[in-house]
Amino acid sequence: MNKLPATSLWRAQIQSVVRLEMKKTFFAKRGLWIYVLALLPILLFIAHAIATAHQHNQSVLLGRQNEKPLSYQDLLAVKTGMSSQDVIALLGKPPGRFHWTEQRIVEQGAPVQVPHESYHYSDGTNDLYLGFADGKVDHVWIREGYNPGRDAIMFAGVFQFFFLRLVVFFGCLGIFMNLFRGEILDRSLHFYFLAPLRREVLMVGKFLAGCLATCVIFVTSELLQIVAFTWHFSLSARDLYLYQNHGMAHAATYLGVTALACLGYGAFFLVAGMLFRNPILPAAAILIWEAVNPFLPSLLKHFSVIYYLKSLCPVNVPTPPGTPPLFAMLVSNPDPVSAPDAVLGVVAVALLALYASSLQVRRMEINYTTE
Amino acid sequence: MNDRVVFEDVSKFYGEILGVNRVNLSIPPGITSLVGPNGSGKTTLMNLMTGLVRPTRGQIRVLDYRTNDPENLFRIVGYSTQFDAFPRGLTGYQFIYSYLRLGGRDSQDAERLAWQAIERVNLADAASRNVAGYSKGMRQRIRLAQALSHNPKVLVLDEPLNGLDPLARSEMIAVFRAAAAEGCHVIISSHILHEVDVISDRVILLSNGYVIAEGQIHSVRSEIHEHPAQILVRCTRPRELAAKMMECPSTIEISIHNDDRGLLIKTRDADRFYLMLNQIALNGVDIESVAPADDDVNSVYEYLIGNDEVVR
Repeated sequence: MNKLPATSLWRAQIQSVVRLEMKKTFFAKRGLWIYVLALLPILLFIAHAIATAHQHNQSVLLGRQNEKPLSYQDLLAVKTGMSSQDVIALLGKPPGRFHWTEQRIVEQGAPVQVPHESYHYSDGTNDLYLGFADGKVDHVWIREGYNPGRDAIMFAGVFQFFFLRLVVFFGCLGIFMNLFRGEILDRSLHFYFLAPLRREVLMVGKFLAGCLATCVIFVTSELLQIVAFTWHFSLSARDLYLYQNHGMAHAATYLGVTALACLGYGAFFLVAGMLFRNPILPAAAILIWEAVNPFLPSLLKHFSVIYYLKSLCPVNVPTPPGTPPLFAMLVSNPDPVSAPDAVLGVVAVALLALYASSLQVRRMEINYTTE
Repeated sequence: MNDRVVFEDVSKFYGEILGVNRVNLSIPPGITSLVGPNGSGKTTLMNLMTGLVRPTRGQIRVLDYRTNDPENLFRIVGYSTQFDAFPRGLTGYQFIYSYLRLGGRDSQDAERLAWQAIERVNLADAASRNVAGYSKGMRQRIRLAQALSHNPKVLVLDEPLNGLDPLARSEMIAVFRAAAAEGCHVIISSHILHEVDVISDRVILLSNGYVIAEGQIHSVRSEIHEHPAQILVRCTRPRELAAKMMECPSTIEISIHNDDRGLLIKTRDADRFYLMLNQIALNGVDIESVAPADDDVNSVYEYLIGNDEVVR
């Protein structure tokens, strides 16, 4: 055998490990739930797109039945207390109308009959629902049609609180914790330990395989979420969102943040998989650590993946008045870091975890009977 | 360069459970068998010399390589373990090929060596089948092929003949002998004593985690003084010979063989016995053959350990 320089040898060995691991990671039956997990947010956005498109069609149909063309401003002009005649004078006869009578119990005397009506208007995009009691408007609700700005905030919320914190988190747990732990349970880890291969090189190879697998699965999931998210937009609205309202830049950032999340959480779960037999304990500990990050002292915040990822997210999720303080703390990012610092932060946290893994992998023994 | 596998005061504890204790060994090239009942420490000793477990105390060197340096150690060591599990989804060929690629070999080299090893264990026909579908004997053979694939200087084989049919056994024994003849260390664990007797140059007897004897079978036997040596003598006049041998003070017991053409003699001093036998032969008693009856692993094992859990 020709003697290769160490770096070339390690590169070749890492490639071999990655090849073996990719096959196992992508086609393992025990990893099927990870694909299901990655599919959930896509289904969520597909469902949202279908519902929004259906609602839009209904609005268009209703808008066509108006006595006169209405604008969004016309819909906003209706106030509580107006009479039904005032409303009809302003918006015309409603294309959708319901009425019923309420038997209102009063303290003394016979029950009073209160007539109720409900009018439904649309400008073709936004719907106006009016509730009348005794001939006066007592309830106004406007259901807005699709609005890229509002939807972008919704997308950011789903990304930060569902996709990153749950889907990517648990997906990385499933893949990275099994890189070593799965083979110990299968009693096949000795295959690697009997090869002329530094344990650290094996660890790096497995980590890269995990990163590749999670990036392929979750970046693809994120890409499909973006497609599903913009699917119901009209062509012009899509162009406007993607090319003039930073939609493309946001999409690229979301994909990058997803890849960084795989790197960061992957490194955490790799070391956890070597240290713990039961994945539930470290998963719960890391989940809690990530959740309480906003409440931690400034120094400790830096030893978290979500701290840096939140700083990289392109759209902040607003906290409207009345949001519970605990939730507001989770949402807000009062101490963000710059994008380069955030990327370096995730990489540094990952390197720290990998260093711990390298120490642990050197100490590992093959003793399946105690597992 | 040191050509020995050396254990220096090595102990291994699994928590409070003893694996092996205070082991001092220096194993030369050739076929060395580790013999002992289940739980005696054979596999622990093998795992220690291949770095799969670390010693609690002491040092191990395999031809000057440390066991915590797998990158160099496994260029000269091949280990066929007893673990009957394989990476998922691999065929027999892929199993060997991947192992060789992990060592950094290029594709062509790995392919060539993989086929060589597969042919050595007679598994070429099944090489393209998934290992998960192999019989026990085939899985044993593919593990042997893996251990042999990179032509190591030290072959560590944990119960390598388990599950093999008689033909495959003799083929494998021939492979071990050929490796030993080329100067290889072949370290085999077995609890099947007649196999050990046939193939070993040296034995290491283990019991409850301790090495209780090591060396060539004959040397080990001669050190066991509390059990008299048993010698089988074939001759035409056994009664006459028995009468003469009883004059020797070291003779303890003589029994005449059923066919009346041989004697089994128990003596405390084999050297003195052989001298006397020579004199008797010179005086005209016709002796056809002389052979030690308990100078084998079976007897040594029985004297030192007892006969529990050992297949003869």
